[in-house]
Amino acid sequence: MSIFEYNGSALVAMVGKNCFAIASDRRLGVQLQTIATDFQRVYKIHDKLYVGLSGLATDAQTLYERLVFRHKLYQLREERDMKPETFASLVSALLYEKRFGPYFCQPVIAGLGDDDVPFICTMDCLGAKELAKDFVVSGTASESLYGACESMYKPNMEPDELFETISQALLASVDRDCLSGWGGYVLLVTPTEVQEKILKGRMD
Amino acid sequence: MKLDTTALDSSAALIPSIGGDGVFPAAPSFDLPSCDDFDGFQKNAKETLKHAKGTTTLAFIFKEGVIVAADSRASMGGYISSQSVKKIIEINPYMLGTMAGGAADCQFWHRNLGIKCRLHELANKRRISVTGASKLLANILFSYRGMGLSIGTMIAGWDEKGPGLYYVDSEGGRLKGNRFSVGSGSPYAYGVLDNGYRFDMSVEEAAELARRAIYHATFRDGASGGVVSVYHVGPDGWKKLSGDDVGELHYKYYPVQTTPVEQEMAEAPAA
Repeated sequence: MSIFEYNGSALVAMVGKNCFAIASDRRLGVQLQTIATDFQRVYKIHDKLYVGLSGLATDAQTLYERLVFRHKLYQLREERDMKPETFASLVSALLYEKRFGPYFCQPVIAGLGDDDVPFICTMDCLGAKELAKDFVVSGTASESLYGACESMYKPNMEPDELFETISQALLASVDRDCLSGWGGYVLLVTPTEVQEKILKGRMD
Repeated sequence: MKLDTTALDSSAALIPSIGGDGVFPAAPSFDLPSCDDFDGFQKNAKETLKHAKGTTTLAFIFKEGVIVAADSRASMGGYISSQSVKKIIEINPYMLGTMAGGAADCQFWHRNLGIKCRLHELANKRRISVTGASKLLANILFSYRGMGLSIGTMIAGWDEKGPGLYYVDSEGGRLKGNRFSVGSGSPYAYGVLDNGYRFDMSVEEAAELARRAIYHATFRDGASGGVVSVYHVGPDGWKKLSGDDVGELHYKYYPVQTTPVEQEMAEAPAA
């Protein structure tokens, strides 16, 4: 198994009408053995910016700590929060710094930018940005996720419908992957509120 | 060692073929690839197919007979190719075999074993013993040793001597025993099975122990999951006791605790 499949992960982010949702599975495993069923993969950078990190769990945790550090410095210098587009460039640069010994992570970035326009993007482990208008996926279940999102996604969904769609896409995809699943975690962000929900999924 | 080719279509013997000296037709045999490095080819083929014995099966003997249980997931590397595979194979009405390893290998050779058992019955006017059936299979598998078959099976049945349970694998091993679990999820199943096992249990208690053991294996092992099937082999033959979806079993054993709501947002009353 490759190093990206060592811990197992599934991440997806989707854009709705003036809102976005980011969801992940909750399994932490060591190859086929499941160690934890409450592992956090989606981290908050600031109220309107979240990053999900799939791939090797230790690199995900370390990369998150470096990103928080850089964002806090930015907040002190600029006296404001980072825009999602800027943050994406920061992540891309940090990953490319390690071009010849990379972090084995694939980040998914989701945020509300100026005028609360939702922004999502994903990258490979070397920092190649992929901006999308509809959805982005990452992790061991990514191929299943692409299929599920492609068929379930509609543009301009309201928050409730977006939550339903992203949950169904995540659960359907992780049920076809041995290395991810064991529950789901969905974060839905609108200009006025943030909803965190835990999904009841198959625990096998 | 002469390979067992009785499984192959023997009508080839009636057709005069190019092989042989033209007078006697060539003996039927599995086609082997013609390449320089046969062992290397076999090694690559084995790695490509990724037979990791990703499964959990178990069987144990107790006072009332044999309980056989298995999950139903088939995986190809990380991808789940099916959640509804029959891993308990009915060799004949009083003998069961379990499947772990390559699905095609297990299905084919168990069916072949069923044929041989029936032929034994017709030739000897009595049923074959579990000892005999497992020996037949073990000898066939030994002759194909090193050729990339991947089978880890348990043969469970009831014969004149009472309940019988044997473990047979594609390396040529054959073990008689009272409790076995085979597959990538077997360490987890052994933990629950060994802890809860007693010789004198009722059929329901034994079935619940088997179900719980397989459920725990599906929870911890990524390559096991789907549906738990539990069978019981008694003096009158085997009977399927239950088939429970593991996703539902989890919430039956560990119901969701509703946390009390501390603060609830409500609409502000209009002034």
